[in-house]
Amino acid sequence: MMMMEAEVIEAEMVLPPHLSFKKIQMYEKYPKGQARGRHWKHLKQILQAENYQNYPPNEPNYVNIESPPSMYPAKKYCDLTGFEAPYVDPKTKLRYANADVFRQLRSLPNDYVQRYLALRNAAVVLR
Amino acid sequence: MSSFSKTRRPQRQTDYDTFPPSCPIVIDNGASTFRIGWAGEPNPRITFRNVVQRPRHKATGETVTMVGDQDPALMKYFDCTRSSYRSPFDNNVVYQFEIMEYILDYAFERMGADGSRVNHPVLITECACNPVQSRSKMAELLFENYGVPSVAFGVDAAFCYKYNQRLGICDKDGLALCSGFSTSHAIPFVNGEPVFEACCRTNIGGYHVTDYLKQLLSLKYPNHMPNLSWEKVEELKMEHCYIAQDYCSEVQLFQRGGNEAEQKTRCWQLPWIPPPMEERPSGEEIARKAAIKEKQGQRLRDMAALKKTNRISELETELEGLEFLLKELENVKESEVQAFLSRTGYVSKQEIESAIVRVTQSLRRSKGEPAEVEEKTESSATEKYPLINISDNMLLPEQLKEKRRQLFLKTTSEGRQRAKQKRFEEEIEREKKNQQDEEKRLENPALYLEQLRAKQRELSDKVEQRKRLKTNGSRMNGNQNLSSNVGRGERLNAVQKERMRLLTTAAFDRGKGEDTFGTKEEDWQLYKLMSKDNDDDDEGPDVDEAELVRVTSRLQDLDPTFVPKLDLGSFQTVSDIPRVRPLTKEDFQITFGVERFRCPEILFQPNMVGVDQAGLDEMAGISMQRFPLKGNAIEERITNSILVTGGSSRFPGIVERLEAGIRKVRPFESLIRVVRASDPVLDAWRGAAAFASSGQFYVQTFNRDDYFKKGEDWVRQYRLRYTI
Repeated sequence: MMMMEAEVIEAEMVLPPHLSFKKIQMYEKYPKGQARGRHWKHLKQILQAENYQNYPPNEPNYVNIESPPSMYPAKKYCDLTGFEAPYVDPKTKLRYANADVFRQLRSLPNDYVQRYLALRNAAVVLR
Repeated sequence: MSSFSKTRRPQRQTDYDTFPPSCPIVIDNGASTFRIGWAGEPNPRITFRNVVQRPRHKATGETVTMVGDQDPALMKYFDCTRSSYRSPFDNNVVYQFEIMEYILDYAFERMGADGSRVNHPVLITECACNPVQSRSKMAELLFENYGVPSVAFGVDAAFCYKYNQRLGICDKDGLALCSGFSTSHAIPFVNGEPVFEACCRTNIGGYHVTDYLKQLLSLKYPNHMPNLSWEKVEELKMEHCYIAQDYCSEVQLFQRGGNEAEQKTRCWQLPWIPPPMEERPSGEEIARKAAIKEKQGQRLRDMAALKKTNRISELETELEGLEFLLKELENVKESEVQAFLSRTGYVSKQEIESAIVRVTQSLRRSKGEPAEVEEKTESSATEKYPLINISDNMLLPEQLKEKRRQLFLKTTSEGRQRAKQKRFEEEIEREKKNQQDEEKRLENPALYLEQLRAKQRELSDKVEQRKRLKTNGSRMNGNQNLSSNVGRGERLNAVQKERMRLLTTAAFDRGKGEDTFGTKEEDWQLYKLMSKDNDDDDEGPDVDEAELVRVTSRLQDLDPTFVPKLDLGSFQTVSDIPRVRPLTKEDFQITFGVERFRCPEILFQPNMVGVDQAGLDEMAGISMQRFPLKGNAIEERITNSILVTGGSSRFPGIVERLEAGIRKVRPFESLIRVVRASDPVLDAWRGAAAFASSGQFYVQTFNRDDYFKKGEDWVRQYRLRYTI
């Protein structure tokens, strides 16, 4: 094998490139210098290719077993503290619980505001 | 959800050859953890985090593959800048089979596999309703790459339920609530078989809890971001997070503050070394230092004095020489003057005289006497400028020239005089103002300070506003981060914008109709506006700025707590820590109170992280609603045996909370019993291992021929029967 530090070899950190029990080795299957990882369909694409619409709707599949939205009205919580939040700051759109939090919130730089919003998927996404 | 950082790297097994080819290998392929072992054994042989990283080995430059967690101490030999942890999973579905292959390579290698193939049947777990693409890719990989004789797929939650059913923890009819790494499932069971028609999945799991905690803490403590690694936050979650029985009342406890909230607040002390305390220097020390300083000062003073005396004596000898020369010159005959002068190096008598004047002046200056020259000139204006008052026609051409020179000299010296006078008056004025200020201050210090502060604020606002107007014609609010949102159109200041407008209109107006430009006088003003010179010409702000500087400095003198407002673009931390305070132990503490139950709360309220799906408790109700068989009290029996499992079910309080929550969504007085799995993390593998060890297992596997002959549709409908 390659020249490695003794402790690295001893710890067996690195996966050996050649394994006897494999019919096709990694380096044969994915030769060096080839674009990797591109050709793997993401879940969204996989699900599209599954063509679930062609099967009876009562047959369970990955998409239709998803839970529906909650029946309870969504409670609003303070983005900073997690307290119940009766107010929304019209400028930053952050929810807040009281005047103290508001003061804190107004001192936040814009990227922090966006990160807080992103936590509940409410950030403005620029494309 | 185990604490990965503590697990040692698994040893390669040595007894692989002792297992007959008929003995199945059992794999629990979880989104977070991979477990592999032999059928019939109580525990998996190898367990590791289901990730791969491919860093570059620094010494050889070779890209290597590492599976699972590594000893951080050994990672120094590798360059990980371009590779991070990669998982074969998208949500809970395997999609990246290159990474999956590395993981399987490692798993079989650690199991001790040798020979030309992995000659054992494989039972591997998958998610509920796994897309057929993922399932067939996995089967293909096992057949084609490892030469596995046959495979079987099963759902982890089902194996777990069966295992606990065998232990008597749950009944043959029941519900598995499995909260894993990336998803949570509710799967009902009838007669010990899962009913996938009635199951449901919410895309929230332990990953989201950890991520939420990590984000919240790093937003709260931006300075400690490097300390908040994924592994560390995971550890914090495991150790401190719990499920509140009622989120709102729990959070109110913290909002009110008080003893109980304090007790529930956890604090993590980051490594912190107190800075070396500066000892107050003793009186002796101070005296010694002062003495040294004084000594150095004296030396400098002495040197300066010596230099001064040297210079004075030098000048004096020069003056003496010159005076002697002058005297000599008087004695020299008219005809020999030229010769005499050429010997001395001077051209004329006047030159010697002027040299004398010059030397006397510098002598006087170096002696520290006030220069009396100007006063002298004042007193002797008529003597010095004798030609000024004589009319031109009475003078010779040379004298006329001389008169003009004298006139010029006179006006400049007078101008200087005037400027000096003005400075003097201003000084007096300022002094007076300061005195008045001081009187006012002494009269009522508090009021004065308040007024001063108000004035400072007002002035700084004024100056700021003007600055803003100058840089940008139309900004609405002052407290926005200036640097962050200067867009393309906003780079020019107001004056520059106006200039651009004029230029463009001028350019576009050309050739439109009759050109009458220049007929009126005002037209030419346009060029003045266009020219670049008038960008910075207003006087107003300078006065204000000067006043602001004065007031600010005065405030700084009087008020120790006063901190001048910093520039707009500067970063403000969340907490109002004054900048100058030295850092203490408390600054290196990460405290979390509400976060302890706020983060796992997303399992029950996915809305908190923007996932619009039902939470764990509601999922049980939804599953019951989707249940196809009604009557015969089957629903009662199911809700009477709810098994909670999966890594995220280990939060304290989850069973009680679930029971209360499910009671809300089920009919009044339903029987509801919620139990925790014997081992929420390992039971799935154990159930699968027990399943694979039964004699009936082989009926449910399929081999390579089956796979290719029966086609995709068959693979899609393939479903394990869990009761053997």
